[in-house]
Amino acid sequence: MVEVDKLKKAVKGELEVLADEKGLSIVRIKNKKLLTKLAWQLKEAFDLLYCISVVDYSPDFELNYIFSNYSNSDLFIIKVNITEKDFAVDSIAGIFNSANWEEREAYDLFGIKFNGHPDLRRILLPEDWPGHPLRKDFKVDDEVRNWTGLDLKF
Amino acid sequence: MEESNEFSYPGLYEVVFMKAEKFINTVLNWGRSNSLWPLTFGTSCCAIEMMTFGATKVDADRLGVLFNGDSPRQSDLILVSGTITKKMARRLLNVYEQMPDPKYVIAVGACNVSGGLYHDSYNTIEGIDRIMPVDAFIPGCPPRPEEFLDAVRVLQKLIKENRSKAQENGRS
Repeated sequence: MVEVDKLKKAVKGELEVLADEKGLSIVRIKNKKLLTKLAWQLKEAFDLLYCISVVDYSPDFELNYIFSNYSNSDLFIIKVNITEKDFAVDSIAGIFNSANWEEREAYDLFGIKFNGHPDLRRILLPEDWPGHPLRKDFKVDDEVRNWTGLDLKF
Repeated sequence: MEESNEFSYPGLYEVVFMKAEKFINTVLNWGRSNSLWPLTFGTSCCAIEMMTFGATKVDADRLGVLFNGDSPRQSDLILVSGTITKKMARRLLNVYEQMPDPKYVIAVGACNVSGGLYHDSYNTIEGIDRIMPVDAFIPGCPPRPEEFLDAVRVLQKLIKENRSKAQENGRS
């Protein structure tokens, strides 16, 4: 069990606590540059990153980092808001290894840049795919529908 | 070559040659249609039905469809069973181009006919006839194993009548 007050002190109060119950803590970081610092603090109590989910509140986006551990099923959720003007966040792939592919997926489907990621490529779609399909402003038009990426001979 | 209105009867050697060519083609088509060695390309649930197609109860071997181990270089027929995404399309064509001529394609399942459940999606090829010539389609989601037998019978008939896509494109 991690103490939220201790974390709040580590990031100099830039933390908004949304829920702090037994086994579930939800916090929101006001300054997204402190994410790596917070992740280092969490590394002591939590040893895996379940998933990174992205929510599209256009034009802003919200990232949810969900942490847990093997010994008990505590959950810790960090919410990070990013704006369209600065569409990037620091990578935590060096701290939690499972963040590597999760961040690639978020980059693939939403186009969010992760600074300092070791290998930021698309993971599900082809490399030369146009656009990011899970965004709200993505439309399936004829260009997308007929795109095969192939040099057809017949 | 100039056109002439005079009708000339074919000579004896031409008649013999034409008869022999027709006979050889008939024998070749008979042989090819009864020894279709398939390459299995299963990507999702239709592949499970494809396994049943090769197993004892349906028994594809009696039609000459012999699951001889998957190598594209020794196969005549590719059974594309399952959704083909746009990323997979390149891999599918890569495998398809390794097969020797003449090659035949059977598209299995609703996804390969029209996109099926994933119709109008951003990442699915809506019918693999967009990317490769298909001889026979099997509808169904997934189709019964017996329908595979039907498709093979249709393909055999097409080959015997010189109407398969490979023969129409002059690749036999």
